[in-house]
Amino acid sequence: MADVNAFITEETIEGADDGPLAGTTVAVKDNISTAGVETTCGSRMLEGYVPPYDATVVTRLADAGATIVGKANMDEFGMGTTTETSHFGPTRNPVDPDRVPGGSSGGSAAAVAAGEADVALGTDTGGSVRCPAAFCGVVGIKPTYGLVSRYGLIAYANSLEQVGPIAGTVEEAAALLDVIAGPDPHDATTREAGADANYAAAADGDVEGMTVGVVPELFEGAHEGVVETVEAALSDLEAQGAETVEVSLPSVEHAVQAYYVIATSEASSNLARFDGVRYGHSAGHDGNWNETFAETRSEGFGEEVKRRILLGTYALSAGYHEKYYAKAQDARAWVRSDFDDAFADVDVIASPTMPVLPFELGEGIDDPMTMYLADANTTPVNLANLPAISVPAGTAEGLPVGLQLIGPKFGEETIVRAASAVEE
Amino acid sequence: MSTRTATEERAVVIGLEVHVQLETDTKIFCGCSTEPAPDEEPNTRTCPVCLGLPGALPVLNEGAVEAAVKIGKALEADIPERTTFHRKNYYYPDLPKNFQITQYDAPICADGELEVAVEDSRRTIGITRAHLEEDPGSLQHAGGSIDTADHTLVDYNRAGTPLVEIVTEPDFRSPAETRAFLAKLEEVLEYLGVFDATRDGSLRVDANVSLVPGEAVADDGSVPEDALAEANRTEVKNISSHKGAEKALAYEVTRQRNALRRGRAVDQETRHWDESRGITVSMRSKEAEKDYRYFREADLPPLEVSDWRESIPIPELPDARRERFRAEYGLDAESADKLTSRKAVADFYEDVADRFDPDLAATWVADNLLGELNYRDMAITDVADRLEEFARLIELVDAGELTTKNAEEVVLRGMLDDGDDPDTIVEREGLGTADTGEVEAAVADAIDDNPEAVADYHDGDEGAINFLVGQVMQRTGGSADPGEVNALLRERLDE
Ligand SMILES: [Zn+2]
Repeated sequence: MADVNAFITEETIEGADDGPLAGTTVAVKDNISTAGVETTCGSRMLEGYVPPYDATVVTRLADAGATIVGKANMDEFGMGTTTETSHFGPTRNPVDPDRVPGGSSGGSAAAVAAGEADVALGTDTGGSVRCPAAFCGVVGIKPTYGLVSRYGLIAYANSLEQVGPIAGTVEEAAALLDVIAGPDPHDATTREAGADANYAAAADGDVEGMTVGVVPELFEGAHEGVVETVEAALSDLEAQGAETVEVSLPSVEHAVQAYYVIATSEASSNLARFDGVRYGHSAGHDGNWNETFAETRSEGFGEEVKRRILLGTYALSAGYHEKYYAKAQDARAWVRSDFDDAFADVDVIASPTMPVLPFELGEGIDDPMTMYLADANTTPVNLANLPAISVPAGTAEGLPVGLQLIGPKFGEETIVRAASAVEE
Repeated sequence: MSTRTATEERAVVIGLEVHVQLETDTKIFCGCSTEPAPDEEPNTRTCPVCLGLPGALPVLNEGAVEAAVKIGKALEADIPERTTFHRKNYYYPDLPKNFQITQYDAPICADGELEVAVEDSRRTIGITRAHLEEDPGSLQHAGGSIDTADHTLVDYNRAGTPLVEIVTEPDFRSPAETRAFLAKLEEVLEYLGVFDATRDGSLRVDANVSLVPGEAVADDGSVPEDALAEANRTEVKNISSHKGAEKALAYEVTRQRNALRRGRAVDQETRHWDESRGITVSMRSKEAEKDYRYFREADLPPLEVSDWRESIPIPELPDARRERFRAEYGLDAESADKLTSRKAVADFYEDVADRFDPDLAATWVADNLLGELNYRDMAITDVADRLEEFARLIELVDAGELTTKNAEEVVLRGMLDDGDDPDTIVEREGLGTADTGEVEAAVADAIDDNPEAVADYHDGDEGAINFLVGQVMQRTGGSADPGEVNALLRERLDE
């Protein structure tokens, strides 16, 4: 297979001799800090930046015996749905090299799909694990907010994102989740809940008596082939003893707008530290520091990152804060309560992961609105802090289609169980 | 004349923002020490968190929250059910993340007060709020001030030091009141054990100053919102002590008053107190005020503090201790004041008052010791490790083994000037109280050598006895007790 440009840096980091992941190779998204190994976030801004410390998930991989084989390509700072905004060139989809692998964890999913790593870590702020998993025909899990430590994950939108596993099978992804999950004293948002769960063991395919909620709003406007493939997968679950019921989530039509306001607002603050003083790209240190900061940032960041920083700065500004940021928080609360209501009646909620088939390279990069709307089904999950998995449901027009299964908070075992039944 | 006075009569309105460095072992969001190492290099007392490295996350130091709760209790403030953190966004090289983690709409303390004695009256100053935040790093402008420097160096050793910012109501009516308030606040903070006044930069004050028409002030001394809103206000920054506050604000009030007197408007602006020149200098106009784009810091979950108020005790505060000292040791108001204003003094007094005569102890601590220390520009904290030696000195006086005069003029001064302990000085100078035989011999000699004084005494001149006491004291090298000498002389003369 031709090189799909899955990695920004190919360097081996050996883990412990023994452990549940001994002999397993892992691709790690390049926004996760690795001590002594360049960590770029796919940006010119951090080209050459070598962190002095390991992210907690990297420490946990090493302790579990995994071998890290490289730092996976990504949309710059996680801002994209195609892995085309990387400063280090786009990653191609191993299934069809003329198409994108999805994003922003496109390098991680492509590495697994191309067999360049057994499993991978991605990060998911609005669908960045699930989208590339769906587009590349592999499994991706976005954990409940607070299940996995973010210490060492270079923030894009810190109230939304989680590190999540990508693998060829549900069981492998769940086993990787077992290794990285659990509270971390370095991340005050991690929780005890789920710490003693056994996710790999939950991949038993037993959906007898499980209630699967189907949300019509999340099928609306989706590609016909995607809808057919996902519906076939749901029929298959019914055949295995699951019951499907329709549930409504009226708030989700506002999710994309709310997501982009919140994510860009947080990004405008999270990315403020890149000023060339302490690390990363610098335009030099001469002259007025305001001007030097501006020059550093205009050179170091790409178009999409600048667009989102400007949007977020605007949304938080005096006079607009109430109109945008505060409203988006209201919408977020509404999405959460909608899901709470739905989970009173169902065990998991099903939808297409992506309403579209993988884009051709270059197809959408100039049209941000099309790209943003492709996140319609994944962003509500991040707004509600919930866990979700994308599992291959089949193909349409020869391209992979992902089924998304959403669970209640810390309901990872349930979504792993349901997804493992889809695989069979 | 009367119209002129009416237009010129302006009332001073001042509100303070006081930044207090909290005494915790570690920084507010990481495990780095808050204590500078001797001769430490810049940027060595740092870690990924306080350097703002990509991916690092803050974890709240509960010790800082406890200190803030203590302050809240001492200021009789409300502690909310839960408290949250926000980001204050602005670009500045001393700020590692280009935002500061602080508190915004749910501060740890709100709506408190502090009572202050100003001259002979007592004033209650309202505390709007007190919130926790992180200190930025420090900048060194090489080769001059910020405007003239060749380059600027950044040191993040201080970054992440816990601060509490205490914001008062605009309740001050004079610069002297701000000084009294800040001195009292320092006292209270020191009593709470959350503050070290000797640390450089441990107290930083910004003041909002405006002048309003005198007739706008209500009978109870309050100033209505609309009068305040109409008056242009300056914010004076860079004040670092209670004495500095009085000087800076006196200057600023005069500056504003002069401007108004000459018919010029006071600009709404930020001014910098230049301590060495004793003036305030314009920094930037308020028009350019920054939009800090505050929003919730999602990396720090809300902290439930509703039961912290009950579970965190605070020690007896200066006012309460002052009253107790008066009741328990029978002290007058002035001594009680002197003995309680600093916790170390009060602790020492309490220790010696329980061991020796409380009155004698009060004179010795409040007058002699503090007086001699003050004369040498020293504070009790400078002799903190020698308190037992001073207690021994009081013991010698209390037991009558040393005269008050020798104790004060020779021993105490020697202790402070030469660093010797009291027994060594007594021995060296031969200052033990004279024995009875020695005193009697001296009395006999004084009577024999001064027949005129003796005659005056017999003629009813009471002054003569003082002269004779002085003669005896001279002969005994000051080691006799003047009272005893007086009695013995009368005995002999009246025989
Ligand atoms: Zn630190």
